[in-house]
Amino acid sequence: MASANVPLQAAAGRGWLVGFGNMVDKEYGSWWRTRRGLLHVFLWLLVINGFLFLVGVDEHGGNPYRALNELIQIFFQVGGLFATIGIIVSTQSSVLGERQLGTAEWVLSKPVTREAFLLSKLLVNGVTFIGLAVVIPTVAFFLQTLLHTYLQPSPGPFMLGLALHVEQLVFYLALTLALGAVLSSRGAVSGVAIGLLFAGLILPNFFPSLMTWTPFALPAAGYMVATGRPLSDGAWVPILVTVLWTLLFVLVALWRFDREEL
Amino acid sequence: MVSEPVIRARRLGKSYKNVEALKSLDLEVPSNSIFGFLGPNGAGKTTTIKLLLGLVRPTTGSAEVFGNDIVGDTIGVRRRIGYLPQEPRYYEHMTARETLRFTARFFYKGPSSGIEKRVQETLDLVGLADKADRPIKGFSGGERQRLGIGQAQVNDPDLLILDEPAASLDPMGRRDVLAIMERLRERSTVFYSTHILDDVQRVSDTVAILDLGELVAKAPIGDLLAGSDGIVYTMEVKGDGGAAEKRVESQSWVSKLRVTREAGVARWLVSVTDPAAAESQLLRLLLADEHVAVASFGRRTYELEEVFMNLVEENGDGQR
Repeated sequence: MASANVPLQAAAGRGWLVGFGNMVDKEYGSWWRTRRGLLHVFLWLLVINGFLFLVGVDEHGGNPYRALNELIQIFFQVGGLFATIGIIVSTQSSVLGERQLGTAEWVLSKPVTREAFLLSKLLVNGVTFIGLAVVIPTVAFFLQTLLHTYLQPSPGPFMLGLALHVEQLVFYLALTLALGAVLSSRGAVSGVAIGLLFAGLILPNFFPSLMTWTPFALPAAGYMVATGRPLSDGAWVPILVTVLWTLLFVLVALWRFDREEL
Repeated sequence: MVSEPVIRARRLGKSYKNVEALKSLDLEVPSNSIFGFLGPNGAGKTTTIKLLLGLVRPTTGSAEVFGNDIVGDTIGVRRRIGYLPQEPRYYEHMTARETLRFTARFFYKGPSSGIEKRVQETLDLVGLADKADRPIKGFSGGERQRLGIGQAQVNDPDLLILDEPAASLDPMGRRDVLAIMERLRERSTVFYSTHILDDVQRVSDTVAILDLGELVAKAPIGDLLAGSDGIVYTMEVKGDGGAAEKRVESQSWVSKLRVTREAGVARWLVSVTDPAAAESQLLRLLLADEHVAVASFGRRTYELEEVFMNLVEENGDGQR
C-alpha cells in the first residue's frame, strides 16, 4: 500500500494546548468506545422522562396549558437536581482518579500540556453529558408533552430556559474538576459538590442574598424563562455571577493541576 | 569529537516538605550509552526521573535533556523521550493497539497508515501482536510490562527512560527486556533505574549509584568493577616465594605488593602502573623460580553487588 510508505510526520506544535486533540479523542472514547455512553442514554431517559410518566400530571380541569406548564416545571426540577448530581458523580474521579491511579503520570510524560489534559476533560465531559442528560431527554420530553397535552413548549423560551439549566451543569462540572485537582479523596470531591447543590435548596431560606451570588437561583429562573414568564430586574446577576464562578473554578483547576507533583 | 551529553544535571535537588529526596545531583549521561541508575529504595532514582520528565519541579539546580531545559521546555524534552514508569498504569478500557495508537499520536500527526504501521511493528517487537485487540484489564503483569516497553519506544525516542523495567518480570521476561534495551542502544540512549545488579552488569556501559539522595559513584562499568585501588593483579602462590617477591617488587611498573598467607597458600596482590607489562612479565617472574607453583592468576575485579554494597554502606555510615 503506497500510503503506508509515507514517512511519519512528527507533531511539532508548541503552546499551551499541545496534545489537546489526542486527549479529546481519548476522552470521547471513554464515553463512546465503551458502554458508558449508552448506559447514560438509558439512565437519563429513565430518570428524567420516566419520572414524568410516574408522577402523573393533574389535568387541571381540561386546561392543557396549565398541564404543560406543570410538566415543564417537573422537567426542570427533576433534570436540575438529578442531572446535576449525575454530572458530579460521573466526573468526580475524572481528574482525581487519574492522579491516584497513575495514568496522569503516564500521559503527562508524553508531549501534552497539563492544560490540554484538564480542558479536554472539561470539554468532552461537558458536551457529552449535556447531550446525554439534557438534549436527548429534551427531545423525549417534547414527545411526552404531545402525548399528555397535545401541546408542545414554545421552542425559543424553552431553549433559553435550558441554557440556564446547562449553565448550572457546567458550573458544577467546573467545580467538580477543580475539587478533583485540589482534594485527594473522591468522597470529599462529590461530598462538597453535592453538599453545595443541597445547600442551595435550604440555605437561601435563611440567607436570601445567596440567591444573587450563587447559581442557586438558576433552576427556578430556567423554568420561568422556559414557560415564557418574565424574569425580575435583577435576575441577570446570578446568571452572570455563575459564569464568573465557572471561569474561576476552571482557572483554579488549571492553576492547581499545573503545580501537581505526579 | 566527543558528543554532547544527553542529560546534564547541575546541582539538581528536590525536597518534599522537610525531606530532601535528591541532594544537589551533578550528572552527565553520554549519548548512545546504556546508563544504569542504581540505588536502594528511597535513594532518589524515581525522583530524578520524574524531574527530568517535568512531572515534578526541582527545588534547586537545573537540568537539560538534549540541551532543552527540563522546566522551561518540558514539551521539547518529552518529544524526544520514551518513558516506562515503575508501575505502568494505562486506561483499562483500551486495548494494547489503542494504547499504542494513543501514545503514538502525541508524537506524530500522521499519516494514519504510517501510525498504524508503527503500532503494528511495536506490537511485534514486544510480542503482543496476538493480544493486540484485547482490553488491557485482562493482561498479566508481564504483558503490561511488555506493553509499557512498547509504548515507551513507539516514538522511536532518542532517549529511553525506564524506571525498574525488569522488576516485575520472570527470568524470560527480564531476558527479553534486556535484549530490547541492547537493540535500542544502536539508535538511542537508554537511562534506566534498577535494583537488579546482575542486569546492570550485563548490559550497562556506565553506572551511577545514588544513595540517600546523593550520587556516591559514577563511572564506566569496567572502571567500577576494577575497584578504586588501581590496577591490581591477584595470584595464589604455593611454595617458597621469598626470592620471587623480591624480583617482583624490584620492577619499575610494580607500585605495591601485598602478600597474605593462609593454609599453605600465599595470596599476592600486586598493584601495577602498567598493565601491559604486568600481563607479559609478572607470571614469568614467578615461574622463573622452580620452588614456586602458581595456582591462579588474574586481574582483580569486583562483582557489582560488592561495589554497590561497599559504596552504600560507606555513604550510609552516620546518616541512616
